Amino acid sequence: MAQRRRAASLVLAACVLILCGCASRGPVMESSAAVELADTPFFPQDAHQCGPAALATVLGASHIAITPEELEKRVYLPGRRGSLQVEMQAAPRAYARLGYPVNPELADITAQLDAGRPVLVLHNYGLPMWPRWHYAVVVGYDGPKQQLLLRSGKVQRQVLSARNFMRAWDNADRWGMVVLMPGELPAAADKERYLEAAAAFEPSAKPKDAWAAFDAAVRQWPDEAVARVGRGTASYRDKDYRAAAADYRAAVQMDATQVGARNNLAMTLLELGCVAEARRQVDAIDSTTLDPRMRDEIADTRQQIDDGTHREACSPGAQP
Amino acid sequence: MIKPSKWRAAAVAVLAVAVTNVGFLNAAQAGIVATSAIVRTDRDANLATIRDQLDQSEVKAQMEKMGVDAASIDQRIAALSDSELHSLAKQMQDAPAGGDAIAVIGVVFLVLLILELVGIIDIFKKT
Repeated sequence: MAQRRRAASLVLAACVLILCGCASRGPVMESSAAVELADTPFFPQDAHQCGPAALATVLGASHIAITPEELEKRVYLPGRRGSLQVEMQAAPRAYARLGYPVNPELADITAQLDAGRPVLVLHNYGLPMWPRWHYAVVVGYDGPKQQLLLRSGKVQRQVLSARNFMRAWDNADRWGMVVLMPGELPAAADKERYLEAAAAFEPSAKPKDAWAAFDAAVRQWPDEAVARVGRGTASYRDKDYRAAAADYRAAVQMDATQVGARNNLAMTLLELGCVAEARRQVDAIDSTTLDPRMRDEIADTRQQIDDGTHREACSPGAQP
Repeated sequence: MIKPSKWRAAAVAVLAVAVTNVGFLNAAQAGIVATSAIVRTDRDANLATIRDQLDQSEVKAQMEKMGVDAASIDQRIAALSDSELHSLAKQMQDAPAGGDAIAVIGVVFLVLLILELVGIIDIFKKT
């Protein structure tokens, strides 16, 4: 009796799976190519540690040798028995890398793989009511076979049909990220998302790394003021005040409402001994509509200009 | 007699002064506005100052409660941008926490388990 029931249940389960598999039609993956980043490292994970393991995998692929155990203290939350996306994206900064969230499209994942970068993804193998979250790393795809290759859990080379992959990815709101070296742009880079990632990288980055990250943005989007501000600030931190002034000035010209750029330009001019021009720049700012924090910054800059410790010593060459 | 709105304004001012460097670069770059403050797309920038400070203590408290090693908490918070801190503060309890090692086989198991739970099948013997 029990055996018959078991057999019946297996048949039923198989039917359910087949029905699910047949529900949608047409190829899921558009690309007809096949790529496998076979060199991507693999860290078989212990219980609940797929976050640190997946992170170690993509960092390893970006030439950062680190173990999941070391990453546990950066991303694992014992109380949740897992890792959160926000911290997964932030953690690479500690290793001079940027986490960049990919476009929520399968075509974007294959584009990143084409560019030689594995993609860390969040999957949900449960149900909306009963989610089972899991991080894995996509290391390849096969267009003709409609398959994706992953490093996942204890499986070094998991083969998933594109359909099953998409089902689990859809249920996780299609979240994925790549890890970038400063100076690298992702495939099909989205300007806003990249600049946000670079700006979040800035405070913990070495000036040279921040410079490389924003320099890549300046080259990709030459008319984008924020990219210039970022590169200028990296130069400022490196005490290359002429380069900083040139970038800040370009940002102000591109976008006259860029108050932060003007403030930073004034500070840089002060370092170059161009006190009068620094004052002119600050005077051009209308502080009344700014948020309190920005207003404080500008008041502080004005005070530094007026406190008399800076003498006018603006050499003609200092003006970029 | 100070009106409540004035109290609020005073509290705002005090908190605003108490906040140091959040969203701005460290002391070595005093006076330079961080790029994150420029790229920020918040509609309620006026509230940002106070919010950041509250977010930070909220995330810290929650991490402690969730068993994160005290020595790592500051390091983890330092890696976060203002908007990341804010989203953590709001949804640390409910945001997806990837952790379970469930391969495809797990899907089959889940289907069976659900069929079991809703009473369609009975393969997991209770005796």
